[in-house]
Amino acid sequence: MNLKKTIKLKTLLSALLVSFLTLTLLGVITHVTDVHLTLGDQLLDLNRDKTQSANAVTSVVTYFRGLDTLGEVTILFLSIFGIGIGINRSDQMHTILHYDNPLLKIGAKVLFPVIILFGAYIILHGHLSPGGGFQGGVVIASAFLLMFLAEGDAYDLDHRIMTLFESLSGAGFVLVGLLGAALGGLFLSNPLPLGTLGRLFSGGILPVIYLFVGLKVASEITLLIEYFIRTRDARDA
Amino acid sequence: MLEMLNQTPFVHTVVTVGSFTIFAIGLIGALSKKNLFKIFLSLSVMESSLFLFFIGNHYEVGKLAPIAADGITLFDGHMVDPVPQAMILTTIVIGIAVLALSLSYVVRYHRLSGHTRIDKMDELGEKQ
Repeated sequence: MNLKKTIKLKTLLSALLVSFLTLTLLGVITHVTDVHLTLGDQLLDLNRDKTQSANAVTSVVTYFRGLDTLGEVTILFLSIFGIGIGINRSDQMHTILHYDNPLLKIGAKVLFPVIILFGAYIILHGHLSPGGGFQGGVVIASAFLLMFLAEGDAYDLDHRIMTLFESLSGAGFVLVGLLGAALGGLFLSNPLPLGTLGRLFSGGILPVIYLFVGLKVASEITLLIEYFIRTRDARDA
Repeated sequence: MLEMLNQTPFVHTVVTVGSFTIFAIGLIGALSKKNLFKIFLSLSVMESSLFLFFIGNHYEVGKLAPIAADGITLFDGHMVDPVPQAMILTTIVIGIAVLALSLSYVVRYHRLSGHTRIDKMDELGEKQ
C-alpha cells in the first residue's frame, strides 16, 4: 500500500516537472521574435555576390559548409562499410521481399530508366530548384528497389560497378576540393567561372559537388537496400 | 479570425507542441517496447520530431523560401534562414546512416541468438 503511494507521488512529480520545463521552453521560444542579422542573413548577402546559385540552401550545403558535407558523406560511407563488414559474399543470398507479378515486372522495366532520369534531373538542377544530390540519389536508389521487388533473385547487381561509382564519387569530391586549394588558395574554394543566375551551367563548382554527392548517395543507398532485401535465411534463423 | 492564427508566435507554438508530442510518442515507444526493431524505429520517430522542431521554428510568416525563382533574383532579409534547412538536410542523411547501421546489428543479433527481445538478452550472463 505504501509502495503504491510512493510510485504515484513520483509519477505526479515527474509529470509536473516535465510540464513546467515544456512551458518554460515554450515561453522562451515564443518571446524571441525579432533577431536581426543572423548568420543566415549574412550568408544570403554573401550568396548574392560569391555564388550565382539560385538555391541558397545548396550554396550553404556545398559551398559555405562544404567541409560538413564531406564529413557527412564520410559518415554515410562508414555506416555502409560497417554494415558490409560481416557479409560473407560466397553465401547464397535470397531476396526475402519479392512479388511474382507480371504486371509489376513489365511496369518496373518501363519505369526504371524514367526514374533514373528523374533522379539525374533532380541532382543536376540542385542549384536551381528544390532538390539536389541527396534527394536525387535517393530517387535513383528507389529505382533499384523497384527492380529488386519486381525481379527478385533474377536481378543481378554488379558489385564492381557499384564499388567503382562509390569510390570514384567520394574521390571526386576530395579532388574538387584539392583543385580549389590549388587554383583558389582554399580547400573547396570556387575556381570555375560563376555564370549567370538561373542557368544550368552556373554556380561554379556547386553542381559538380552535388553531382558527386548524388552518385555517392545513390550507390550507398542501393547497397543498403540490397543488404536489407537480400539476406541468408533471415526468417528461419 | 484567421489573421490572428497566421502569426509567427502562434505557428511556432503549434510546431513546438506538435513536435514535442511526436517526441513523447517516440520516447514512450523506445522505453516501453521490448523488440529491438521497434526501439530503433521509435528513436527514428524522436529524430523526425526534432527535424520538425528546427525547421518549423525558423519559419517566419511572410518570408519566402531561400530560392530565387518566379522573378525573384534578390537574396536579402525577405527570405527565411537557409542554415537550419541545410543542417537538417545533413542530419537526415546521418540519421538514415545511423538507423541503417543499428538495424543491421539487429539483423545480425537475430541471426546469432534467434530472437530480438531486449529483455531476453543475456549474453554477458548477468541474470544467472
